Amino acid sequence: MGVFVFLPLVLPLTAWPIARLAEQHLHPRTATRLLTAVAAVMALCSTVCLALVMVVGTAQLPGNPLPDGWSDPEVRAAVPFDEVVGKAAIPALCAVVVACARTLWRHARVRRRAHRALAGLPETGVAVLPDTLPYAYALPGGRRDRVVVTTGLLDHLQPAERRALFAHERAHLAARHHRFLLAVQLAARANPFLRPLRTAVSYTAERWADEEAAQAVGSRRTVARAIGRAALVSRGAPVATLAGFAAPGPVPRRVAALLGPAPVVRRWPSLFTAVGLAAWCAAAGTAVSAMSSANAAVTMVLILHAATPW
Amino acid sequence: MADHRQGSRRRGQGELEALVLSALGEAEGPATAGWVQERLGGDLAYTTVITILTRLLAKGAVTRERAGRSFAWTQASDQAGLAAHRMRRVLDAESDREAVLASFVTGLGPDDERLLRELLGQSRGEGED
Repeated sequence: MGVFVFLPLVLPLTAWPIARLAEQHLHPRTATRLLTAVAAVMALCSTVCLALVMVVGTAQLPGNPLPDGWSDPEVRAAVPFDEVVGKAAIPALCAVVVACARTLWRHARVRRRAHRALAGLPETGVAVLPDTLPYAYALPGGRRDRVVVTTGLLDHLQPAERRALFAHERAHLAARHHRFLLAVQLAARANPFLRPLRTAVSYTAERWADEEAAQAVGSRRTVARAIGRAALVSRGAPVATLAGFAAPGPVPRRVAALLGPAPVVRRWPSLFTAVGLAAWCAAAGTAVSAMSSANAAVTMVLILHAATPW
Repeated sequence: MADHRQGSRRRGQGELEALVLSALGEAEGPATAGWVQERLGGDLAYTTVITILTRLLAKGAVTRERAGRSFAWTQASDQAGLAAHRMRRVLDAESDREAVLASFVTGLGPDDERLLRELLGQSRGEGED
């Protein structure tokens, strides 16, 4: 198998240019689905690969519960640098498992607490909270999905812009965006190289909801103004970025995108455009990653099976 | 009686606070804890009512003033205000809440504000629709 065993661990690097191109050129809905799928498959492959290397690594440790045959020189020859890599894989896999479990637990906790905070209010789809702090959230789950918005934010918006805000949040809930966000978050925990995909998906999910809101309200400019105004009133907490490298943040990009022409839904694009290249690279990278980890898994199982005494 | 008490215990903390608060809301002017307890139908122990009122005081949902040997309590905010307070606490406690609750807008970078004003100014210049 040679170094190909490690391919699924490194292939997520190809996600960087893909994420950039996809979020700029694909329809936000397509981009969100594509990037989430790519992230999920790559994360799964990378974890399988890590687990295989770990099995070989653990088998060499004295006193391990695995069959002795698994530390046979022939098995170890299947993985290059088996001693170092095998031992390194153990803490790495533990870290992945712990990080993913923590992410899931936190996700559940935030949702539970937020729903509990709203206990006592009438069970309506929209919960308006009297608070000067301007914010709006889509809160999935619980007895019913809810949109949470404060009077502090609503007071700063025109009636049409408020409709845009509600349409945006409802689009998040209707399309179950929190599942996409959770999936890419877990993927980023499984392999840190997948972090750009997480950032990209949280942006494209917002864009997706923006476009849905624009359709519901019937004016892209109204949605743009709603986002712009909401961002300007809630600008209290600036994102910590180095001023020198400050690229336009997600909010101005969303507003600019809405002020521009509506994105078109394309079928599978041609290879000879930037978009096509990105999409095809993503597909190819994912396929290679999946194939090489499937290959590694099958080979490893066969070798281990042959090396097991019973 | 035992059933009764268990039932009230099973009601969550938030619900008890809501009950006490709504009872206090029906009072005309400041009310004593004893009045609140009576209003709730004697369902809760006097000390429980005091505990809940103290908790509501910490949350800024009620105010109190001394009246003789005890306190007179007044509602400061209603159910929604209380929910807003609790929600604010959830948001403050969760640093990575953005991952769960898709927020309408995220924070602005250093140059974002200027850029945003330019974009919005442009959109207004092109004519309101």
